[in-house]
Amino acid sequence: MTSVLQYLFDVLSLGSLYALAALGIALIFGVMRLVNFAWGDVIAFSAFSLIVPTTDAMTTLAIGALPAPLLVVLVLLIGAALSIGMELLVFRRLRHANAATTMVAAFAVGTVVVNVLLMMHSSRPKAIDLWSGLNAPLDLWGARVPALQLVTIVVAGLLLAGLVWMLRRTRIGLEMRAAAEDFDMARMLGVRANQVILVAFGLSGALAAAVGLLMLTKTGVADIRMGGSMMLVAFVATVIGGLGSLCGAVLAGFLMGLVSTSLQAWLPMDVRPFRDALLYLAVIVLLVLRPGGLFVTSAATQRV
Amino acid sequence: MKKTFQTLLARGWDTPVLLSLSLALLCLLASLWGGAGLQRTATEILIRITVVVGLYVFIGNSGLMSFGHVSFMCVGAYGAAWLAVPPEMKAYTLTGLPQWMAQESFGALASTSLGVSLAASLALLSGLVLMRLSGIAISIASFALLAIVNVVYSNWDSVTGGTSSVVGIPTTVDVWGAWAWAVFALVLAHAHGHSCWGLQLRALREDSVAARASGVNLYAVALVAFVLSGALVGLGGSLEAQFLGVVNPDAFYLSQTFLFIAMLVVGGSASLSGAVLGVVALSLLVEVLITLEQGVTLGSTVMRLPGGTQEIALGLVMVVMLVLRPDGLLGRAEWKLPRRKF
Amino acid sequence: MYRLEIDNLHVAYGGVQALRGVSLRVAEGETVMVTGPNGAGKSTLMKALAGIVKPQTGRIRLGGRDTTGQSAERVAAAGLSMVPEGRHVFGSMSVLENLRVASGQRRDRSQVEADLDYLLDVFPVLKERTHAQAGLLSGGQQQMLVIARALMTAPTLLAIDEPSLGLAPKITDQVYESLQTMQAQRQLSLLIVEQSSARVVMTGARMVMLRSGQVVLEGPARRLGAKAIQAAYFGV
Repeated sequence: MTSVLQYLFDVLSLGSLYALAALGIALIFGVMRLVNFAWGDVIAFSAFSLIVPTTDAMTTLAIGALPAPLLVVLVLLIGAALSIGMELLVFRRLRHANAATTMVAAFAVGTVVVNVLLMMHSSRPKAIDLWSGLNAPLDLWGARVPALQLVTIVVAGLLLAGLVWMLRRTRIGLEMRAAAEDFDMARMLGVRANQVILVAFGLSGALAAAVGLLMLTKTGVADIRMGGSMMLVAFVATVIGGLGSLCGAVLAGFLMGLVSTSLQAWLPMDVRPFRDALLYLAVIVLLVLRPGGLFVTSAATQRV
Repeated sequence: MKKTFQTLLARGWDTPVLLSLSLALLCLLASLWGGAGLQRTATEILIRITVVVGLYVFIGNSGLMSFGHVSFMCVGAYGAAWLAVPPEMKAYTLTGLPQWMAQESFGALASTSLGVSLAASLALLSGLVLMRLSGIAISIASFALLAIVNVVYSNWDSVTGGTSSVVGIPTTVDVWGAWAWAVFALVLAHAHGHSCWGLQLRALREDSVAARASGVNLYAVALVAFVLSGALVGLGGSLEAQFLGVVNPDAFYLSQTFLFIAMLVVGGSASLSGAVLGVVALSLLVEVLITLEQGVTLGSTVMRLPGGTQEIALGLVMVVMLVLRPDGLLGRAEWKLPRRKF
Repeated sequence: MYRLEIDNLHVAYGGVQALRGVSLRVAEGETVMVTGPNGAGKSTLMKALAGIVKPQTGRIRLGGRDTTGQSAERVAAAGLSMVPEGRHVFGSMSVLENLRVASGQRRDRSQVEADLDYLLDVFPVLKERTHAQAGLLSGGQQQMLVIARALMTAPTLLAIDEPSLGLAPKITDQVYESLQTMQAQRQLSLLIVEQSSARVVMTGARMVMLRSGQVVLEGPARRLGAKAIQAAYFGV
């Protein structure tokens, strides 16, 4: 019973993290049909903003020393600002370029961010103690669950609920949904494209920062490449969730968390290292069975 | 004689000829006046051309973005390594290799052939599945393929040595060898592009709905391009292995993928000449930046850029190039002899 | 002052010179219908008007304001509301949400609510289905939705590209009836692209016929006569 409970918490916490990541990518993809390959690097940037830039192995906390609520708000703002900066400086000028060009541009922007971090902090992983007490296990109905898992689930739940509320009940949310479905039509009805896109980028950046904080708390280490694997997961989840569907992206994130955790739990020892390969094989199978993704929106089907 | 020439011109053969000749000029300059360093750079450029031309065969003709091709490079590289590495070295590190591979070392041609065959086989196998998908699903699936190959090669210790490099590959690839293979790739790419398979595939790039409605068997046509491009990229991998003498799975993952796709897109993804130009332009840029990073003596002072600047400058230049010319430097244009206008 | 003035518009689209010096005027409260064979440039004209495509030369003025080459949002703010070809409802959103999206740039809250009520009265089919998902409505219902939605921006000029496309004649009649009601009550100018010359004659509006990117015939439809219309349409 306890192992089932532990398994459940593992699935939910990893799934929540993946769902937040997927949303970070899906928000921009939904509105602009752009995959922001630089999103993963916003995660790293946000994590590193906690310490004073130094190439030494020893780190001194800058923002990281502030009380938790202030820290969180500041880091989320930093993530949002970096993301918005990318849109203003680069993506806005590529609004009408083809998909390949914007993808390469996004990769390039990401490389610039990573290397700026490299120059400021060196390529060494840095140890940062951020609320490491949260890794202490709690006793929940016999299962030993790290408090961080609970925090992750709650935080993700709150963020998701907040986003849903924003999308369904606010003006800007309404405009974002309209823009995601039919960008040009929305503009013809007076929806201001630039505003909507800026909001999408801001939210996406804040989500990256949130993911970064959660990852940092769990591992205690900041690495300039820490966003890479999360970026891949987010990208995959967005597509298998169904293009243009935020709901689908979130669900796909949870699904990937489920599959990943299950593989980790059930695979025989010597096959374990190949877990990720099996996960990606499953992705290919899913795409073959449901090419449009889990939730095919009317936006995705092309009217002939 | 004149008629053959005109037919060849009409089919655009001046493009690969012009490209091959200008690359030969590059090699000549490098071998006559350049030191060993310059020759190595030239060889590296030619190997990259082989890879990016391979990318062009699929991405350029179909308009579909594949992120997974570097996995074929990985397969090609290791395939060549398995045959070429002397048996004494293979015996300790790669214990899982089949008997006939482990007991001998084979020549360059044989090694390259195995590398290419393995890459093409993987391309066929994965293509059979991937070409059923469309649009962005292919892009994601190809990413998944890249990840799968990387995980497998990083963990299958007995066959690939895992994350430690496989060393001892005889470095048989020199400037002129690389040139010959690059020309081979250009010729194949051009021939394919102007064959009925290539042309039908381009219909997909232009207007996928109309192409399907015209009865073109897009699945077959895309598969042919995918396999050919996998083979060429695998060829590039085999050459890289026999040029560096060392292979490692990390060298065939995300940053390589980004670099090669960037070279294709910056040059002009819909153009064979664009593919070559992109490789040459970005490679030269990287060389300039590396030199600047290492320090340039101006009189009595050494000017040096801080570490990491090279990648930042590269990224910035790419962004600027793409903002200024979103369809790449050449767009769809090819390098041709001036035609007489009637 | 005219509601809409288009002067000598040249537009290239998809590698083709789609419009070659088109000029037309729409007065306040007037209905002008643009017709012509396929490929005449009618849709391109609408796209240029809406700010989706940039013209090469020429000028577009809405209520005296120069809107040539401006973005779609700015053109909408200048008083144009465009209903493009193919309905384009926001399928995953409800009827009510579709209508509300359009009122974003308006500052007059109470008038927006009044307009909403009014439009739901003019289009009873929508009133019965305010919370239905727009993507599930029938063709005719969707057409009424997009017209009502366009009107929620409180435009001075409503431009519609092919309102009758894919609709049964009876439904098209209903659509045109509602348009006429609205026009009578609000001094709304209408610019409608309509494939069927017969329909144009029926409504008795002023006709502008395009062929190969140029205006080949213009005038009150009923007065032009079937022969002249046919001749201009086929270019004989």
